[in-house]
Amino acid sequence: MTATGTEWAVETHGLTKSFGQNVAVNDVELRVPRGCAFGYLGPNGAGKTTLIRVLLGLTEVDSGTMSLLGHEVPKHRDIALARVGAIVDEPRFHAHLTGRQNLEILSASREPESRRRIAPALERVGLSQRADDRVAEYSMGMRQRLGVAACLIGDPQLLMLDEPMNGLDPAGMQDMREMIKSLVEEGRTVVLSSHLLDEVERTCDAVAIVDKGRVIRQGSISELLAGSSLVVEIECSDSEQARSLVEQGRPATQVTSGPEGIRVTLPTGTSREVIATLVRDLADGGISIYRVQPIQTSLESWFLEATSRFGAQS
Amino acid sequence: MTIAIEASPAGPQMPGMQPAGRDRRGSWIPNGRMIAAKILELRKRRGLMIALIAVDIGLPAIFLAVRLISHAVDPKSYGPAGGYDVFTPLVSNLMYVFGFIVAATLGCTAGCSDLSDGVFRHLVVTGRSRLALYLARIPAGTAIFAPLVAVGFAIVCVVCVYAAPTTLSYQGVAVPQGLSVTGFETWAEAHYSEVICDFPYPGNLGNFPCGPNGLISPTGAAAGGVTTTPTAEYKAAAVKIARFNYDSYKNTFLVPPVSLMIESGLWVELEALTGFMIGLGLGSLIGQRTVSVILMIVLELIVTPIVARTPIPHLVNLQRAIVGVSTAHLEPKALVPVFGGGGGPGAVSHSVPETTKEAAFVIVCWLVAWSVIGARRMMKRDV
Repeated sequence: MTATGTEWAVETHGLTKSFGQNVAVNDVELRVPRGCAFGYLGPNGAGKTTLIRVLLGLTEVDSGTMSLLGHEVPKHRDIALARVGAIVDEPRFHAHLTGRQNLEILSASREPESRRRIAPALERVGLSQRADDRVAEYSMGMRQRLGVAACLIGDPQLLMLDEPMNGLDPAGMQDMREMIKSLVEEGRTVVLSSHLLDEVERTCDAVAIVDKGRVIRQGSISELLAGSSLVVEIECSDSEQARSLVEQGRPATQVTSGPEGIRVTLPTGTSREVIATLVRDLADGGISIYRVQPIQTSLESWFLEATSRFGAQS
Repeated sequence: MTIAIEASPAGPQMPGMQPAGRDRRGSWIPNGRMIAAKILELRKRRGLMIALIAVDIGLPAIFLAVRLISHAVDPKSYGPAGGYDVFTPLVSNLMYVFGFIVAATLGCTAGCSDLSDGVFRHLVVTGRSRLALYLARIPAGTAIFAPLVAVGFAIVCVVCVYAAPTTLSYQGVAVPQGLSVTGFETWAEAHYSEVICDFPYPGNLGNFPCGPNGLISPTGAAAGGVTTTPTAEYKAAAVKIARFNYDSYKNTFLVPPVSLMIESGLWVELEALTGFMIGLGLGSLIGQRTVSVILMIVLELIVTPIVARTPIPHLVNLQRAIVGVSTAHLEPKALVPVFGGGGGPGAVSHSVPETTKEAAFVIVCWLVAWSVIGARRMMKRDV
């Protein structure tokens, strides 16, 4: 396999970046497959933006190696970044210029063909009508769209979007979601850093969870969720009695009760037969059961579980 | 609706596609499009451009327009708008000092605008060399301030040539232009009263009491243009004074000579270039326009005049290292000395002694040093 023919759009080994005593990126091993939407998740201050800045050469790395689209960075930074578009933090532009003029300035640093992509890019993000207004008059959402347009003029193979949903209204978020999907369908890779776990779950194919500068898990969302615990919601006649019955029979099980019934969290790998046994035990205990519903573990609950586990270990 | 983005020649799906061969993105040399883009960004700053035009063109234009109108309305009370006497202080006091300040303001803006507007990171993400991004600012800024300074200077030259007085005024006395030493002495003999009373002379040639209308005779009657019996003593004194003043007289003109205008124009542009380059480096270093501009104004209006006027024995080499002292040293000799060096027309006086080579060396050092500082900061800065 040649350097450029690698299957990874982003690949890092032992990447570390510190600011004084604070290790923002800690020995990060990351592999982002080509042609997918990849979520980069973590709580505030986890080092998501710092990693993106390191990858893009906006700040120097302390140690480790990295490559973008198969090109070693920073050695071949110019070649690698030629086909990368990025929004880092909030997209900011020269406020005294129009959206179109800002894109013209950015295209001047790219290849000459990029100038011809300005109008289609503005059209694609829905800014054609306002392209000749000064950016000072743009809303936050419009600036986000302009940021995406700025990425698109480079015809990127890899887009790195840092919190792209910030400032967007629900319709704007839906548009952004569809745009990310369409970009992936065109064969581009999108790395999406976001604290909106629901957005990542809806948009991305794969995800990396980062906490305290370290990637603690990565893989496809279905793979990650497969390893999480099973939650069953049971609507019953006497929730307190039901709770004590379950706790007596299964000490390892976590049970919470409410006015309508109980919620039972079973350990990872629990088989479906265990649910049947549970229901039978409750019925035998004289409890009327009205509804039994397994709850799909969301990425958010998995994420909270994973980051708290990691935090407790460290 | 999905709008397709025109793909690169190789298409977005091609892994590891190289940029087009003519797009030398890693090169430190900025291309023409980058320079044009920076010009666009700077010239669209309305406030900055208004300030630049107002100072470089507006101030001299308004000053000369007022003089033209005043002279046209009341020629007896107001002298001609142009001429050599107007040209020299306008160039050395107004255009030189304010040209530096506005060019420095432009430089500071060019140095930090991408940073403060958050656009520098967009530019870095294109893969373009940071050094090229910095260097693109130099021709872009020069393309803005140099023509403005040139236009302002051209207005001064045109008015000073075409609205010049018809008789030469030396020390306030009407004197024929272009006299030889002998001719000047002969003229002085004939006009001994004005020469003795109005021309400067460092020594004492005798007791020649002067009144408001010229020499006062020993009896108390007005002499000079009024008296009809000039003495040989008066004439001899007038000749000596004229001989002393001849060098200064021959550098006094009705209109500024073409050579002086060219030299002065280049000198003013050099000062503006110096201001721009230092401002660019300082703006890039600090990343904040207001502080940079204040520091540049302090350098030009406070530090340089003080250092230029007051030689400090043990610190004279340090004083020579101030760029404003060096550019002042390169001032054309027929101009009024900048920073009030004194000496009058034709007698440029610099309190801090310095050779022309030393002055040129200091200027080059400042330009190179600030360019290196600014470029290095932009190359290493976290954005």
